[in-house]
Amino acid sequence: MSSVECDGYNFDFPNAVDAFKFDETDKSKPHYHGVPMKGVDIVAEFSDSYVFVELKEYYDQTMFDVSTATTQEEIKAKQDAYKWLKRYLKYKYRDSYLYRYAEDKVDKPIHYVCLLTFDNALVLKINKDLKKELPLGRASRRWIRVLASSCQVVNFSLWANLFPKWTITKI
Amino acid sequence: MFTRIVFDRFTAFQKADIVFSPGINVLIGENGTGKTHVLKALYAAADVSVTKKSFAEKLTKVFLPSREHINRLVKRGVGRGSGSLEVFRKIGTEELRLRLSINSWEDSHLKATLSGHKKTWFEHPVHSVYIPVKEMLANAPGFKSLYETRNIHFEEVYADIITKALLPPLRGPSDTARRKITSILQKAIDGKITVQKEEFFLRNKQGNLEFTLLAEGFRKLGLLWTLVQNGTLLNGSVLFWDEPEANLNPKLIKTLIEVLIELQRMGVQVFISTHNYVVLKWFDLLTRDSDEIKYYSLFRDKEFNVNVKSADLFSDITPNSIDDAFEDIIGQEIISEMGDLGK
Repeated sequence: MSSVECDGYNFDFPNAVDAFKFDETDKSKPHYHGVPMKGVDIVAEFSDSYVFVELKEYYDQTMFDVSTATTQEEIKAKQDAYKWLKRYLKYKYRDSYLYRYAEDKVDKPIHYVCLLTFDNALVLKINKDLKKELPLGRASRRWIRVLASSCQVVNFSLWANLFPKWTITKI
Repeated sequence: MFTRIVFDRFTAFQKADIVFSPGINVLIGENGTGKTHVLKALYAAADVSVTKKSFAEKLTKVFLPSREHINRLVKRGVGRGSGSLEVFRKIGTEELRLRLSINSWEDSHLKATLSGHKKTWFEHPVHSVYIPVKEMLANAPGFKSLYETRNIHFEEVYADIITKALLPPLRGPSDTARRKITSILQKAIDGKITVQKEEFFLRNKQGNLEFTLLAEGFRKLGLLWTLVQNGTLLNGSVLFWDEPEANLNPKLIKTLIEVLIELQRMGVQVFISTHNYVVLKWFDLLTRDSDEIKYYSLFRDKEFNVNVKSADLFSDITPNSIDDAFEDIIGQEIISEMGDLGK
C-alpha cells in the first residue's frame, strides 16, 4: 500500500515499499500504534530510506511569526507559540524514532518532512531552527548512529513542486 | 491621481496596460522587467504638468538613453516601427490622457508626437517626487549647480530629488497627519534634518551630524522627513520610490512602511518597486480594509515579453519572484539532503 489517508488528505507514494498512518488507532489494522507516545502522521518506507511526514494546518500563520509582532506582549506570545511548535515537531520525531527503534526499523536513513501551512519565508526560518533542535546528523562525536538524516519543512505548494512524485489530494 | 498607463513597444514592454490604485501601488518582478520604467514614465508625466516643459524631453532626461536619443526608448525589434506610452490621470471625475509616440528612426525628442488632453494636463499640475535607488542627499552640495551647468551623465531624477529636498519648510503649523508622520520618522532617526549651504545634517542631542557620516538607511528616512516637512508630499501629490528598502536594515522597514501607509491615508498616491519580502509582508500586516493598495507582478513570458498581473492581496500575487527565491533555497536544500526521492 503506497496510499495513506491522513487528516482529510490522501497521500500517494508510488515509489514506496510501504506507507502507513503511523499513529494508527484502529486495533484491527496491522500498523496499530497502541503506545502512549507522540507519533508523526505518516511513515513511508523506500528501498534505501524512510520518510516521516507530519502535517499541521494553520489558518493563521502570524500567531507564530515573531517578525510581525508590534508590542512586547505580542512578541512574547508569538515567541512562545513558535517555541511550542518547534518543540512539538521535535518531540513528534523523537518519539517516532524511539518507537521505530523498538521495532528495529531504524536501519535506513530517515528524512523528516513537516508539511505546514506557512509561507515560504516562515518555512525557511522554522526549517533552520528545527534542524538545530532535532538534531540532524551525528550531533556528537560519541554518536555512531544519526537520529535524523534530514529535516525539511514545506508547505503544500512547495510539496507539489519539490516532491512531484508524491501526490496529495483533498478527500 | 494616476489611473492607468499603457505601453506599446516602449523599453521592455511589447504591450502592457496597467490600471492603478489611487493609494499604494507596489511593483515586484525580477531585474529587467521594467518596474523602474513604469515609475519613471509616470514621474516624467507628473513633473511636466508642473514645469510645463516638454514631456518628450523630460522622458529623455529621466531615462537617459545613450546620446539622449529618444528613439532608443522604442522597444528593439526588426525594422522600423513606433513605440508609445499613454498616461491617464483623474481630476475630479474627468480622466485625462497624455500620449507620446516615438518613431524608431528619429532620435531627437523634438520629433516625438504628443497627443491627448495636452492643454488640460498642463493646466492642472500634479506635484510629485521620485526617490531613486541611490541616496543623493549626502552628495547634494554643489551637485545641483554642477548638473545645471555641465553635461554630466546623471539621470535627471538625481538632480530633481536634491532640488525638492532643498526646498525650505512650509510656513505655518503642520496638520495632524503631517505631524504624525514626522513624529514616526523623528523617533526612528532620533532627530531632525537641517540644511546649511546645501549640506544636509541630522540634528539631535549630540549636535549636527553631516549626512556623509550618517548611515544610509537613516539618510533615506531623513529624506522622507524633509519631503513631508517642506510640503513636497502633501494631499494630492505622488511619491515614486525605487526600491525603498535599499541600504535599510530590515528592522527599519516597518517604520518606512508605516510612513508610506500614513502618506496614502493623507491623500498621497504612492508607487514603489521592491525586491524585498519584508516590505511586502509589512504592507500586508499594517494596511486596513479602508486602505487602498494594489500589488503588481511584472514577469517575462515564454516569448520573453514582459507581462503584468495585479492583485489586491499580498497572498494573491502571482508569479511572485520574491517568494520564488525562497523556494529555490528550500528546493536546493531538499535536493542536497534527499536527492531525487520525491522527484
